Amino acid sequence: MRPDGGPRPMRSATAGGCAALVLLAAGCGSSPGTGTQAAGQPSGHGPTVQIMARSLPTVGTVLVTAKGYALYMFAPDNHRSVTCTGVCAGTWPPVKLLAGGSLAAGPGVSAALLGSDPDPDGGRVVTYDGWPLYTYTGDIDPGQATGQDIDLNGGDWYVLRPSGQPLIPRP
Amino acid sequence: MTGSAGASGSPSPSRPPRTTRRAVLLAGGGLAVGAAGTGAAWALTGSSAAAPDPPAPPAVMPPDDDLMREHGVLKRVLLCYREMTSQVQAGGSLDARHLHDAALVIHDFIEGFHEGLEEGFVFPRLRQARLVSGTVTTLLTQHARGRVLTQFILAHATASGVASARTRGELAAAMQAFVRMYEPHEAREDTVVFPAFRQLLSAQELAGLGQHFAELEHQQFGRDEFTAMVGRVAGIEQALGIYDLTRFTPDVTAYQPPQ
Repeated sequence: MRPDGGPRPMRSATAGGCAALVLLAAGCGSSPGTGTQAAGQPSGHGPTVQIMARSLPTVGTVLVTAKGYALYMFAPDNHRSVTCTGVCAGTWPPVKLLAGGSLAAGPGVSAALLGSDPDPDGGRVVTYDGWPLYTYTGDIDPGQATGQDIDLNGGDWYVLRPSGQPLIPRP
Repeated sequence: MTGSAGASGSPSPSRPPRTTRRAVLLAGGGLAVGAAGTGAAWALTGSSAAAPDPPAPPAVMPPDDDLMREHGVLKRVLLCYREMTSQVQAGGSLDARHLHDAALVIHDFIEGFHEGLEEGFVFPRLRQARLVSGTVTTLLTQHARGRVLTQFILAHATASGVASARTRGELAAAMQAFVRMYEPHEAREDTVVFPAFRQLLSAQELAGLGQHFAELEHQQFGRDEFTAMVGRVAGIEQALGIYDLTRFTPDVTAYQPPQ
């Protein structure tokens, strides 16, 4: 379901952690540190998360995953923290940075703007210019941006320009 | 865009997990469901004892039963939508408050919670098992399309919006499209998707996931939102004059055999 990361792991009902019902790779066991990590620093043997830029119909050039799925920011995150957790993250799977993983900027993407923030659900989420990045389950195929300008799960969702600016329509 | 009333995912770590709605006292304790169990199994377990049973620990509703109960809220909003659509198509008026309230139930509870459970926990497991994958893809597409319709309805269900005959027509068309899509959508989930999901989970997994659903509901809403939503929809039904269930009972005199 997650376009690039496979199904979202189920958290244990009792422990609320990673002794999961269906524990898959992403989301658990990552370093629980706080603050934003520097981008592009290989820190171990984990997979590299690559953030790309691509021109999509209707929205123009925006950030996408390595497979071409649109990436979104969530207004309540307010440039600084992951607030889409729990049920929200079922619809908007965050882009996870696994323990020991690294970040890579594709052409047109600024490596200096890449980072990661701790996810209250566990692990870390990739950020761009401070915005935690999410995919959308409504984007069935790469190149779609069906979650653009949707108000859901407590706030508005927008795709991001490679400059880090959300694409907020004019009123 | 429209505001979101109470759909924020702010956790309330200080509150204990809620056990009111899903908690059912099962004599003997535990959750009596198996991978092939039915929804009725958990509710009936332990009810046959003649003597009073000692207090039992609360158990949780299986996740698929929980989702199907939430479908009941969706069905009742679809009924409201259908009634309002009929009123518009008959040349009648449209009450912006009722429509906006009905759409908010969809937005906050169905799209902002129920569908998140499906997308986060049910559909991924089915895809992982390569079961009903094509159906899941269609269901995800329909969730996304439904959200677009809801955004439109919420944005236009205003006093000035419903005063325009053109906007009333557009709202009626949006409601009609929503109803047409979600009736088969939820029926397919209840009869195909959820049964397939249940077969994939052990009794322990079902119990754990049911508890997790309850915790997520409490985390998001801080209360028994299902019951609150049922009351809210009932109020809309009353305002529309469709709450009385007897209204839907047909007169079958013409169909009875001659005496």
